Amino acid sequence: MTEKKRLAIVVSENSLDKAMMPMILGTTGASLDAEVHLFFTFWGLFLLKKDYKPKLKGMMAPFTGMMVKQMKSKNIPGYSELLEQARELGVKLYACSTSMEMMGVKKEDLIDGVEVLGATAFLKIAFESDVTLFI
Amino acid sequence: MEAKKELNAVGLSCPMPIIKTRKAIEELGSGEILLVLADDPGAKEDFPAWCEQTGNELLKMEEEASVIKFYIKKK
Repeated sequence: MTEKKRLAIVVSENSLDKAMMPMILGTTGASLDAEVHLFFTFWGLFLLKKDYKPKLKGMMAPFTGMMVKQMKSKNIPGYSELLEQARELGVKLYACSTSMEMMGVKKEDLIDGVEVLGATAFLKIAFESDVTLFI
Repeated sequence: MEAKKELNAVGLSCPMPIIKTRKAIEELGSGEILLVLADDPGAKEDFPAWCEQTGNELLKMEEEASVIKFYIKKK
């Protein structure tokens, strides 16, 4: 058995594809007994808003429904389901304090269990992590 | 091999089989065996990796058509 790992991921986008990646890696990491920290910044912050449904962006935007349908038919869990799993597995969710200011997002707009964090505090976590990813 | 608990993850895609396995194994006592059935294309590599990382022992892997049976002994 290898020692317990720590995984820190920056989530910078709110498109459906970029929302799924940290959720899949985060829940898998937690299932591997790793300590998982997700830092939601800039557009990524929107993913922590209550009842938020990410969509594909840009030229891919009209295909959101098709992709959601395809995921369902393959039994791939949706964004909300994975977020719920992540919380159950103890994945730490952080909202970037500066992004909140910039986007006018209040703590009460966010789902429960989110911690508001500055860049310094997150970097401290990242320094002590085994794996850091930027999505 | 007597499994204490069986988890049917057939039809589920990554990462659900591993998430469910992680949750199921929590309900077992040390030394008890969990049997997982999975057909996710990544399962064959994912389950040995999960066992190695978490310290639970993969006792046996049986392939029957597209379904793989994993016998996992809780650490």
